[in-house]
Amino acid sequence: MAILRKRSRASGEIPTASMADIAFLLLIFFLVTTIFDEERGLSIVLPEQGEEVDVSPQNVLHLVIQPTGVVEVKRGESPQVQTASAAQVSSIWRMEVSQNPNLIAAVKTAPGAPYRYMVDVLDQLQAAGAERVNLGILE
Amino acid sequence: MIAGGGFERKSKASSEIPSSSLADMAFLLLIFFMVSTTFPQEQPRRYPWPEAEATRRLDEQRKNILHVYVTEGGEIFINDRLIPPAQVSNLIAPLYSENRQLLISLRADRNTPYATIYNIQEELQEAGALRLTFYTELEERITRERR
Repeated sequence: MAILRKRSRASGEIPTASMADIAFLLLIFFLVTTIFDEERGLSIVLPEQGEEVDVSPQNVLHLVIQPTGVVEVKRGESPQVQTASAAQVSSIWRMEVSQNPNLIAAVKTAPGAPYRYMVDVLDQLQAAGAERVNLGILE
Repeated sequence: MIAGGGFERKSKASSEIPSSSLADMAFLLLIFFMVSTTFPQEQPRRYPWPEAEATRRLDEQRKNILHVYVTEGGEIFINDRLIPPAQVSNLIAPLYSENRQLLISLRADRNTPYATIYNIQEELQEAGALRLTFYTELEERITRERR
């Protein structure tokens, strides 16, 4: 007579039922720690130290930023001063550069003026496609 | 008349959602996040950044970018260290000689007096690192019109 022996049920396989749980745990960890820090802003290239370029005064558009945010526009050697807001700078630049393609924007900011006023003007110039911009300080 | 002599073949379609591919999906997502994760090397600082319409995204490798943080009071932080304004060029010059592609991302509070920013510009020129980006927030046209 055959004896019915109880067979061991231990499986030879690695249990995979908890695999999804492990994967999700790791997934949540990386989801939480991921930050997509994109680099953005307004790019310029500074002139080299001591580099001096002779520019004809008539090719310069002076933009003086006062501590209040008012922009004083002076064209070349002309003593006439036009006051404007930062938002008007792009239209001024577009108009001036259509008359003189060699124009350079010389931005001079008052030392006490908040940085954002300079950024506002630079923004307007870059939006208007100005590439030759000089950033200086008002003395 | 009943087909199959009354023994109907039962449909084998299971009423359960198959979960065997769950792990595969999770691993795919996991690999995506593992690859795209970068752990910040410096303490995150958030100041009110200036806003600009012409803000552009920069495609620059992370290793080429150096962040220079400036607080409203004019304190300068580079790699989590407070740097005296006159020491900026001494710190950046060796970094620039190691990596000629160095790009400075100037992350300054929007209310910082311009004198502080200009001083940093001069220090960068002294160090020879001429590629500079003013970090800005993208300004939507609607917010500008409202002003």
